[in-house]
Amino acid sequence: MNSLIVERVVKNYGDKTAVNGLSFEVSEGEIYGLLGANGAGKTTTMRMVLGLILPDAGDIRYLGKPYSKEQLSMLGYLPEERGMYPKIKVSDQIIYLAQLRGMSRKDAEQNLKIWLDKFQVPEYYNKKVEELSKGNQQKIQFIAAVIHRPRILILDEAFSGLDPVNVELLKATVKELRDNGTSILFSTHRMEHVEELCRNITIMHKSNPVLQGPIKEIKKRFPQERVIVASDGTIDGLEAVAGVNRVIRHEHGGYELKVQSPEAGQAILRHALAQGPVTKFEVMEPTLNEIFIKTVGENQ
Amino acid sequence: MNSIWTVMAFTMRNKLRSKAFIVTTIVLAVLLVVVGNLPYILSKFDSNGPAAVGYVEGQQPAVIAALQKYYSAQEEPEVALQAYQSESVLKQTLTDGNIDGYLTFVDDPVIHFPKTTYNSDSALGSGAFPSLLTGLQAAKNELVVQDLGITEAQRTMLAAPVELTPVQVSSGDDTGKTQEEQGTAIGLTYVLIILLFMAVMITGQLIATEITAEKSSRVMEILVTSVSPLKQMFGKIIGTFLIGLLQIVVLLGALLLNLLQPQNAGALETMGVQLQSIDPALVAFAVLFYLTGFFLYATLFAAVGSIVSRTEDLAQAVMPITLITVVAFYVSMFGLTHPNHILIVICSFIPFFTPFLMFLRIGLGDPAWWEVVLAIGILLASVLLIGWISAKIYRAGVLMYGKKPSMKELFKAMKAYKV
Repeated sequence: MNSLIVERVVKNYGDKTAVNGLSFEVSEGEIYGLLGANGAGKTTTMRMVLGLILPDAGDIRYLGKPYSKEQLSMLGYLPEERGMYPKIKVSDQIIYLAQLRGMSRKDAEQNLKIWLDKFQVPEYYNKKVEELSKGNQQKIQFIAAVIHRPRILILDEAFSGLDPVNVELLKATVKELRDNGTSILFSTHRMEHVEELCRNITIMHKSNPVLQGPIKEIKKRFPQERVIVASDGTIDGLEAVAGVNRVIRHEHGGYELKVQSPEAGQAILRHALAQGPVTKFEVMEPTLNEIFIKTVGENQ
Repeated sequence: MNSIWTVMAFTMRNKLRSKAFIVTTIVLAVLLVVVGNLPYILSKFDSNGPAAVGYVEGQQPAVIAALQKYYSAQEEPEVALQAYQSESVLKQTLTDGNIDGYLTFVDDPVIHFPKTTYNSDSALGSGAFPSLLTGLQAAKNELVVQDLGITEAQRTMLAAPVELTPVQVSSGDDTGKTQEEQGTAIGLTYVLIILLFMAVMITGQLIATEITAEKSSRVMEILVTSVSPLKQMFGKIIGTFLIGLLQIVVLLGALLLNLLQPQNAGALETMGVQLQSIDPALVAFAVLFYLTGFFLYATLFAAVGSIVSRTEDLAQAVMPITLITVVAFYVSMFGLTHPNHILIVICSFIPFFTPFLMFLRIGLGDPAWWEVVLAIGILLASVLLIGWISAKIYRAGVLMYGKKPSMKELFKAMKAYKV
């Protein structure tokens, strides 16, 4: 069942269109990637999903129902611009936000303790937010978004400003939430996170959805243009192989070749094997990063 | 519905826990107690007993006798006259600090009363000087009256003070307001004007600051997705209002504590205020105008707070409202002495001034009943209208970041959201 359905929504600000006919569906237990350059309309889309602004046209449905005040309690939101009350204790403000979303005080207290334990920071319960490091404030912010057990979670740049250890921790948490059936709308500039987490994505560009669908299928639509080849020694004359456009030599051994078509790979492999044993050979799938740059760049 | 309670409770709890709030309240209460008791405390430090004033024995015996008589008639004589042999001895005694000053006389043939000099080491007009001035005047009257040879009854008549009683005629009842009622009304008007002014200035600023702080710390993004802006705004306003009320109660408690002190028992009477002569209708009006006035201004402050993104810009943004409040305050200060002035009458129908001026007119003047009803009607309508507009602005303002939006941008944004 699809928890969140966005259908042909349009939002205009004056004569400027912020979102133009966007549709997508997020099913239960799915992380859906919403990608786009700055100003592409991601935040406006999220704000419409959150019910902060009304779409000028189109329809948004939550578990099959249209937007109403009651839906607020099943939505969780981690805004891109992080913010908490700096001078108020963690427990006070998290419980406050949880109560605003319809949770009982006792339930919120218990759940907060569980979350703090999960992030291994139970001592923050009575600390003021301004006393915490930026990374730890992010954890608290994340807890604020999920404490009330939302069915639909909206994460705007969830992992920005975190060190790699904390990114892994939060990523694992997000996956856990997904496996528990939460529908997550996920926006980020970090394509490797999207590849790891999302099944389906929409790439937005200048208010329009330009690329949509399962990541696998999207990748198939783009030709494989990259070949990696490496040996213990050097491989000469790769530029001369038919179908090779460009050769980049990596610092730590190995070559990255831009090719016209994946078939050139076989010629490259034969050429390399003739010079000695090959330690690595791969015809690379296009990365989401490349697809993104290509899609957004071409349309510029 | 109960999310408005959650917002209220959160606002109040944080305020009650903030050190600044607790310290301010305590300092104000202590200050109130200290200032209230200052005259009493100062009098404790005063040298006890009358001031010692010397004179040369044998000089102007009639004047000295009359002065002696004047001071001996006082319950607590302010001056004790002491005789010395000569002026040089007096001078020496003054230098030694055994007397506060001494009198010397020069005959005045025209009015047959000596020109008197008060020699002392204190500055002009201080010490026993004012008392001596009154004493000598009394002594002179005494001497002159003695010479006239009038009867005791005539003398009493001459000495008795005149009586002039002010009565304020009211169109409603025939008795009019007595002096006590007028005094009480003036007192109550003063209290309301100052309380409302303080509440608007302090609490209003506080509301605006908190909203801007929520915006600049970006916690607003989460708040607006959790609770409707209308509830959020009114929860905050009501919460802050109750906190302000609590502060007033504490301060009134301190004031009451002062009045219960035996040495302050007569304080209210000397100001012409009698608690039992408080008109309950006036109190009801005070409550009504305090509430409406507070909410009228508070919603405006909330709206302005929601437009500004950074606390640094707030002072400038609230300036117009602050200015209106200050003007209302000074106009009512003028109105205290001129409650029926045409300016006051006209201004009392302007909603921003009504809570101050219509209450002042009810307390001190005599507005017709339809005037009161009309002013309250306009005021209530304005509270609702401004509350609604403010909520619209708040709704649009809380999500607008960057520079302060222009009127046009704001208006456009207001149309985009539904409250």
